[in-house]
Amino acid sequence: MNDEFYIGYLPSAPPGLARRAKRVVLTLIFLGASSVVWLAASQAARPAGTFEFGTVRTFEGVLIERPIPMLRVSPPEGLEGEASPLVLVGFGKGGLPEFARGHHGAQVRFRGTLVIQGANAMIELNDPESFEVITPAAAGDPTGEILSLNVTVTGELVDTKCYFGVMRPATGKVHRACAVRCLSGGVPPGLLVRDDIGGSAVFLLAGTDGAPLDYDVEWAALAVTARGALELHGELPVLRVRSLELAH
Amino acid sequence: MSGPYRAVHWNRQKKVYDRWVVGGLLIAIGTFIAVTGALRPEFTAETLIIRSTSIAAVVLLHIVLAIGPLARLDRRFMPFLYNRRHLGVTIFLLGLTHASMATFQFHAFGDVNPLVSIFTAYSRDYAALGDLARISNFPFEPFGVLALSILFVMAATSHDFWLRNLGASFWKLIHIFVYVAYGSVLIHVAYGVLQSERGLAGPVLLGAGFVTLFTLHFAAERKEARIDAVIAPLVEEGYAKVCAVSLLRDGEGRPLRAGKERVAVFLSGARVYALSNACRHQGGPIGEGKILDGCITCPWHGWQYEPENGKSPPPFEEVIGTYPVRVVDGDVYVLPRFNELGSSCPGAGVEGGTR
Repeated sequence: MNDEFYIGYLPSAPPGLARRAKRVVLTLIFLGASSVVWLAASQAARPAGTFEFGTVRTFEGVLIERPIPMLRVSPPEGLEGEASPLVLVGFGKGGLPEFARGHHGAQVRFRGTLVIQGANAMIELNDPESFEVITPAAAGDPTGEILSLNVTVTGELVDTKCYFGVMRPATGKVHRACAVRCLSGGVPPGLLVRDDIGGSAVFLLAGTDGAPLDYDVEWAALAVTARGALELHGELPVLRVRSLELAH
Repeated sequence: MSGPYRAVHWNRQKKVYDRWVVGGLLIAIGTFIAVTGALRPEFTAETLIIRSTSIAAVVLLHIVLAIGPLARLDRRFMPFLYNRRHLGVTIFLLGLTHASMATFQFHAFGDVNPLVSIFTAYSRDYAALGDLARISNFPFEPFGVLALSILFVMAATSHDFWLRNLGASFWKLIHIFVYVAYGSVLIHVAYGVLQSERGLAGPVLLGAGFVTLFTLHFAAERKEARIDAVIAPLVEEGYAKVCAVSLLRDGEGRPLRAGKERVAVFLSGARVYALSNACRHQGGPIGEGKILDGCITCPWHGWQYEPENGKSPPPFEEVIGTYPVRVVDGDVYVLPRFNELGSSCPGAGVEGGTR
């Protein structure tokens, strides 16, 4: 039986108890650190993305509001064809800001921050003062290259701003509330479709015939099935949704 | 113990304790950030903060909950008990950091007040509780809020100022809610991150923690039950024969039952004393204490009482009850009825007994 008696307000602990306490603490630190390593290593990999937070660039191109707010930019000099459009969103958890609305088809210039994930690119319009209309123009609703008129896909409903790179991870239950807020604020919804060998793609979801997509933002992070026509705008796949429902 | 007011009675051991806590946390948080940064470079800094602080808080919560039963089972764990409140406050601060960052990250800059969004972002899935097919959709955020609220109340009332003003019983009642906080944390994690991260590490570690805590509490409870099971019946004149003098060690106490009362019986030199087993500070087990410098000393936080009258030595003013005690034919008898509080009770001599 150990006769040492511990009193915390004395200057020092009895030597035997102090040695044992030290061993226990070191063991706890070892066990804790081992657990932390295991937890950290078991986190699933996520798509990389970049949000150039704090970096503001100037953009110029044709502003498209429908079916998805986008900016069509001219291809860099020397290259042919159309560059992939950049999806437009607002600051925070918001879609195309009010100051940029009503200019469908106009040549505009503004400053904003890039969000990039592979071929997916997005601009956060965060400087209202910089927005200017260079050439007012009326354009019809653009139609992308139609890939299929009848597509059915099932995947996770995501908000494209977070998924393109603002938040990593940006999927699943822990991010669900954020995705709801983003979708509720007008960020374009996307359907994240995964295959069995680790591949994935995001389809931007839009309404048909110029109407906004009618859906429940609380379905964010849940599995949904979308049916509609698939178009390609540059490299951005846009699904004109005829029906959207929770997958079972 | 009562005395001139000082916000914190810092001493060397407190500082050593806190240095180990901070050092351990830095190692845990640093390890998580380093490993995640190396293996998952795509994760944002915000994610690293949210996850590392929550993991540190959950690990520390398990340690805090283990200290109580460990100290009951083995006195050598007492050094961890003395400043356990520091760990509680640290857990709250880690939880607050986690919650603040998560609220900022997931709920701020939206179309709803962030504090409202925590509870309402996908409010229709509160109904999932009654639907087994959708029960995994049930919101996890409110459980985190509940746990953090309890931890806040505990941290805010952790100082002895509140212990004294609220009274030990009510204060202990408040702090028993740590188990509600623990349960809320388990649900928060199970319904939150464990549904996003499907690896084995989370469920295995959380399950192992739960089993360990349950086993420790069960073992400690059984030890207490063994003490309570030996109920000395009341015999002559209401006295109960509680033990033989030969079972007592000089300068040490023994928690025993006299009738329904749990009493602390001490042998000091040639005299036996019986006092209340509950310390005035936090209800600590006086009977597991020792006599140091002539005073009975509580094993939890070192509060002291004079064996003859139950009074704390001057300038302190606390008093615990003493019981009439006799020694007859080598056996200790205790009358389970307090003497007048603070009155002098000379105890009983071990040679021949006193009445």
